[in-house]
Parts: sequence; C-alpha cells; structure tokens
Amino acid sequence: MTRQFEVTKRDGAARLGKLRWRGEELVTPCSLESKEELEFLKESTIHGVEIDVAIVAAQEETSAEQIDADIVILAGAARFRNDPRGLTKALVEARELANPDSALYVPALATPENVSLLVYAGVDLFDSVMAEVEAREGYFIDADGERRFDAVSLRPCLCSACNGANITELSFEHRVALAADHNKKALKAELNKIAEHIERGTLRELVEGRCRSAPALTALLRLLDEEYSYFERRSPIVRTATLLACSQESLNRPEIRRFGERVIERLRKREGVLLLLPCSARKPYSRSRSHRIILAHLDKLRQYLNEAIITSPIGVVPRSLEIMYPASNYDIPVTGKWTCDEREWVTGRLSQYLSVNGFESVIAHVSGPYRQICDEVATSLGIKIVHTVSDENVLSFASLERLRTVAQELIDSCSPARRDLRFDYMRDLADFQFGLHTSAAIFPEIPKVRGLFPTYYASDRGERIATITGMYGTLALTIEGARRYLRASEGSYCVQIDDFEPKGTVFAIGVLSADPGIRPFDEVIVVNDRVIAVGRALMSGWEMQASKSGGAVAVRHVESR
Amino acid sequence: MKKLYVAREHTARKPEPRISGSRARGNERSAWTGMDLLNGDIVPSLTVVLTTKGCSWARRDGCTMCGYNIDSNPYTQASDIQKQFNQVIARSGKAFKIVKLFTSGSFLDQDEVPIDVRDAILSELRGMPKVIVESRPEFVTPEICEDIAKTNEHIEVAIGLETSSDGVRNNYINKGFSFRDFVRASETARSHGFTVKAYLLLKPPFLTEREALEDALQSVRDAAPHAETISLNLCNVQKGTLVEALWKKGLYRPPWLWTAVDVLKQTQEAATVICDPVGGGSRRGPHNCRKCDREVVEEIKEFSLSQNSASFTASCTDQMLWEFVLEFEEFSYGAPLVP
Repeated sequence: MTRQFEVTKRDGAARLGKLRWRGEELVTPCSLESKEELEFLKESTIHGVEIDVAIVAAQEETSAEQIDADIVILAGAARFRNDPRGLTKALVEARELANPDSALYVPALATPENVSLLVYAGVDLFDSVMAEVEAREGYFIDADGERRFDAVSLRPCLCSACNGANITELSFEHRVALAADHNKKALKAELNKIAEHIERGTLRELVEGRCRSAPALTALLRLLDEEYSYFERRSPIVRTATLLACSQESLNRPEIRRFGERVIERLRKREGVLLLLPCSARKPYSRSRSHRIILAHLDKLRQYLNEAIITSPIGVVPRSLEIMYPASNYDIPVTGKWTCDEREWVTGRLSQYLSVNGFESVIAHVSGPYRQICDEVATSLGIKIVHTVSDENVLSFASLERLRTVAQELIDSCSPARRDLRFDYMRDLADFQFGLHTSAAIFPEIPKVRGLFPTYYASDRGERIATITGMYGTLALTIEGARRYLRASEGSYCVQIDDFEPKGTVFAIGVLSADPGIRPFDEVIVVNDRVIAVGRALMSGWEMQASKSGGAVAVRHVESR
Repeated sequence: MKKLYVAREHTARKPEPRISGSRARGNERSAWTGMDLLNGDIVPSLTVVLTTKGCSWARRDGCTMCGYNIDSNPYTQASDIQKQFNQVIARSGKAFKIVKLFTSGSFLDQDEVPIDVRDAILSELRGMPKVIVESRPEFVTPEICEDIAKTNEHIEVAIGLETSSDGVRNNYINKGFSFRDFVRASETARSHGFTVKAYLLLKPPFLTEREALEDALQSVRDAAPHAETISLNLCNVQKGTLVEALWKKGLYRPPWLWTAVDVLKQTQEAATVICDPVGGGSRRGPHNCRKCDREVVEEIKEFSLSQNSASFTASCTDQMLWEFVLEFEEFSYGAPLVP
C-alpha cells in the first residue's frame, strides 16, 4: 500500500505534512470537523481500504514494536485534559512508537488554547470535538483561554460567526450554536498560525507565549522540556530565524542545552590566556560596536589570546562559535538585571568551561552582573580571574588600556603560540559539527584561509577543502574535504545510499543506513560504492532510516569514488 | 493489514474484606425502611443487609463494578447471621409489606447462608406479602426452590442479570454466567410460584454513553418476559473495583442521569422498571451537570413508584451536552468527553 501521509517540513518535533484523505489532500496539522470524517477514520481502524490506521493507548510498559501506519491514534487522549504529566508521557510514547512518517492523531483534546503545545510535541491531526463540548458547557474559547457566555461582551470577536451577533439577545441554544461555530473557527485560525510558525521554524517562540494562559499548559511545556533527548533528536542544528529568549522556559530549549554540551564535549582543550567578554546586542558579536572597539584596542595581541563571550541564555560562547546558531542569532530582553535562573545557568556553564579547559590565566573584561558571575565562579573553583574594567565601563580608555597591559603581561608570562584567527573559526566549527578531533583529519596541516568574515574558505595546495556558509554559519565540506573526513570518521555524519548517483535530493526511500546522530541541517557525506557526495541533511539520521517518504539530503556536490 | 494495539493495563482487583471491631464478631447488621411498589400499590418495605462470608463469585473471581465484598466477613458463623436478622426484627418489627434480604452475595447459596438459618429466616417471615432474596442463577435450582417454597410462599428471587448481552456481561462485567442461565433460573423460580426481579446495570465499563443506553434498552426488552420487575441499577464507582481503577485514570464516567431517564421513558410500555439512583449527583455516582442532579434524582425515584413518565418534567441546559456526548463519545477512543 502506498503511503498516504508525508512530512513536508519539520520544526523540532512539529511537522507540516500532506495527508491523502478521501480523495483530497489535507495539509497537516489540521482538525477534522465533520462526523463523516470521524466515522471514516473509525471505520478505517477496523477495515481500512484507502488508509491504514492503528490505535495506541498510553501503556505502562512500552511495546518495542514500531507501528507503521498512515495514521496512529492515541486512544483516550481526552483523559489527559487536566493531567500534563500523563499527557507528556503519552505523547512522547505514542510519537516514538509510531513510525516518523505516520500522522499522529490525538482525539477529542484540541482547543485553540492547547493545540500549539500539542503540535510542538509532535501531533499532526486533531478534531473539533472539544470545541463543540466547550460550547455546550457554556464557553467561548480562543488561543488565550475560555470565557463563559455571560462574561462575553456584545461582540466577542470579529470572526464571521460572531460578527454582528448580539449574544445577550440569543437563547441558550443559539448561543451554543454561535459559540460552537466560533470555537471551531478559533481552532482553525490557531492551526493556520501554527503552520506559519513551523514554516518559519519559530513554533517554540509561539508556544512559549501560548502556554501562559493556564498553569496546566505552562506545566505541560516545562514537562515536555524535561524530555530533552526526545526533542534534541528532532531539533535542527541551525535555523535562520532569531531565537527569542523571552521567558524562563527559554533557558530549557533543546538547542541551548545541546550547544552548551557540545562546547564542553566537542571542542579541543585550550590552554594559555582566556579573555572573557560581555555579549552584545548585535550578532555576531564581532560586528558589534563594543567588540570592534575592544578588539581593535588589543590588535595583534588577539593572536595569542583565547576569547569567550558570557551571555544569557547560552552561557559561554567561544569566539570561534559566534557565527554558529544559536549564538549567531538570538535576542533577550535587556534590562541590566539578571534573573536568578539566568545567573545560575550562566555561572554553571562558565564554571564547567573553565574546569575542562587548561587556561593558565583568565582575564574578565566585564562589568555589572557579568562581573559578579565571574567572581562567583572564581571563588567556587578557587582560581584567580583578573578584572580589567575599572570604572564599570568596558569601553573607557582606562579600562581598555588596563586590558591591553594585563593581556600583554599574562601572554609574556606563558608565551603561547601564535594562532591564525580565521583558521580558528574553521577548526572549531569542524569539531563542533563533526565531533572532537575531526578537524585534525580534515586539516592535517594548517591550510590557507581566505575570505571575508565570516565566509572564510580553506584550501590546501590550491584545492578547496571547506567553506563557512554565510546563511547558516556552518562549515560546508568540498568533496576533497569529505574524502579527508571519511578517512577518520567511522561512519558518523555519513549516509549510505542505494546504488545510484544522487542528483539534487536524496529521498529517504533510497537511504540504506544513516548515522542516527545526524540532525536536520547537519552537513553530511553521502556515499555508496560508486560515488561520494556532500550535502545538507533535511531530517534526522534515525528518521532517514525509518522513513519511506520525504527528502533526506539536499546534495551539493557529487563525484565518483 | 490491521493491527490493534490496546493496552492491557488493568487486571481485575478484588477488594479485600475489612475486618475490624464488631465486624470480626459477626454482629454487623444494617437495615433501613422505605416505600416500594407492590401490585401497583405503594407500600412500606424493610431492607435487611446481612453480613455473610461473602459472595462465592467475588471470592473466586469477581465482577468489575462490585465492591460489596468489602462488607463481608470470612469468619461469619451460621449463628451470626441468625443473630443479625433477629436484631433487625427485634428493632424494626414486622409491620411491612415487603422484606428484602440482601447478603451482598447469594442468599440461596448454602455455603454463604447455611440451610437451617435460611429456612429459619424465611419461616419467620411467613405471611409477609413479599420476601425478596437475591441470588446468582446457579443457586436457583429445583431442589433449593422446592425447599424454600415449603418455608414461605411469597418469595421473589432477584437476580443480577446486568445485561442481556453475553458479550458485555462476560467481557466487561466478568459476571460468569449467560443469559440462558438467567432464563433457566427464572423458569425454575416461577415454576415454584415465585416471582422474579432482574437487576440491570446501566453503563458497564468500556461502553460509551450511547452503547450503554442501547444496551440497557435492549436488555429491558429481553428480560421483560422473564421477570415481573426490572430494577435498573445506575453504575457507581465502588472502592477497590476495576471500575474505580478505570475511573481514576479518566477512562470511566458513571452514567448520566439523563440516560437513565431516557431508558425509563422508552421502556415504560415494555416492563415495570424501577430505579434507585444510588450515589446520584456525586462524582462517583450517576450524575449530570450538578445543577440539575438533585431534581432528576427525585424524579427518577418518583417514577419508580408511580410508573408514570409524567414524573419527568425537569429540563436543563446540559441536555445539549448530553446529546452531543451520546453522538460523539465514541470518537474519543475510550475516554469520557466530560468528567
């Protein structure tokens, strides 16, 4: 049987998809409205001809068997209406049990208020049953919650159901009919908005706002955030949209935690002198006024320094990773005051960064809360951090002069090797993307690095090896770069394909095996016995293996082996 | 290829009897008086609940909704049962037209109520216009009926049929007997001059509200030829039962009172159906939206005596919700739409 559902776009666990459904094509996420549709679906669970439908119930013990059907129904989901803990567990379990290219249907649960969180968790299909129930219970519902009929103003909203209606003059039956119509429209409107956010890759931003209308929904988001590996396995490595860290929950975003982990686990250990700088509003930091002034003042001394930026919510960003998501594009509300959560999070990241690296001395050219964080870390680790800001102004001449003097002294005392700053970006990006020490395989000797910040490119004896892409700030390998990488890689970030020469896009159906660690937008190497190709992953590696439909890799270059 | 993945997360849990204080000495008794229907007249009745060693089926396997076993006492002696009965009669007298003898098991089970105690109690009530005893059908044998017919002439045997559907009774209620067993027991009882009452259960677990409604309607029609009276029991959530486990997981809701009203109205012509909505209006009992619960409970009780559907006059805004639930609950795949 051919598949009736296909995922067309991913944003973390959320997806846009196409469902071939009773002779038409539904764009998911969407809501089934008519009784005929619900009956057709129910009928299909028993003897579906056109479409394959399976039922799962949240179980105590998970069955190991993957369910391969066009639609998977999470039975009895309505019982989790007021149970965010049970719902989190059931959603994650059902999604993991269902094949990635099965549509997940959560019956009789969606409202305009909760549907963005449900989509965020990986649900594709809904219905308007709860919208109807709420109307009969006497509620108008919108994305910001529910209101009783009695509390609704004369014209509750401008949707076509409500427009012009004078609710106070209507009988109860008519109010219910009006509210049901409104509630269904509100659900549809919210689903349209959600689809737009998935398209732009910004559903998380929507969800962090939406969950404020009810404590149970905020709890749901926090509990979902505890399912780190579930979401990390689905989170893209980069995105073009700016990460907006407007809430306490922003600190728990999977990409922020993953970035922190990779900085510690994947970058080679540094020695010598570390310079800590405050973050800037403009990204990448190097382009900001404050960083340009500081860096210009240090001038050639920079070649002997390691630089890292302290920032909320990311923690610590080594200079070389400033062009990588999420460090390259995030924004936070700046008030000069840090919350306890932010402070604790950044303190933890800095403390860990200093512990795993072997710096001989640390300079902190920071003020205000940044300075307090540095002091706290210095005390807890029992190390010395030299402050160079004298008058709470990082850009004052006195501060800058002191920075230069201190830096010069510390460099003289441990005489570190001179580094090529541009190569630093390439080398760290290679390790960050492909794993610790892979840069040594790609660049066995220091290559020639040219180009304008940040789109540097490296070549060895005239042959191009790798380029930093301007759009995403990731390292893109050439075929030569890929060959070098393959010699050391042992299959990570590799996709084995069937015996064909890929052109344009490699589809999941053609993938024999793939490194499960690959994430959407990762740089990957595509191989079979005949050819080698490089490209960008369109889905996670484990998904390429399990899926039968959809594009897996957008191929950039192909050569025969 | 169709695969059905259904959680088998529940196994029937049998409630353990509580044994403490006077219960351990076999002294417990509970009784109350009320008004009941007898040949079209409303008459005073006495209900006696005797503590015994408990229902034989509950001890062996048990029904999914029944928690009465919690009130039995495995150490009960024959003399204890006689003593309980004597205490009730001593206190309440015999000025009733109907006496109901309940044991939370089977009064006709000799293992539960020894023969001499059984016969002594029934003889004591000789002359009472109606004596109702409850029993599972397997104890309604020609031998037993012959024996008890000698002690009392006005016996009514009440049997917990629950539903006329063998599938629902054995898969969802776990009752352990068939409709044929009930019919055979009814015929046996009638051939000895007894009348028969059938208990039906409105909304066994795993049924939607509509399925429960239809099951009850069909069951009344099926049971009517075999019973003088049908008692519609609205399922309530009893401690220590499978129904309670499902209810706590949000997978069961007791029936709507509107559903009971609908069954009573629709079957008025077919049979004498009475109903006492135990726990009506509470979370664990049959309920509507709370606003109208008390009123509808009263109307159901009134109907049980009057058998006149003019008793039903209440209306409430939640009827639209109830109608929607009837139509759409099946599409939630197992969870009630409204708590």
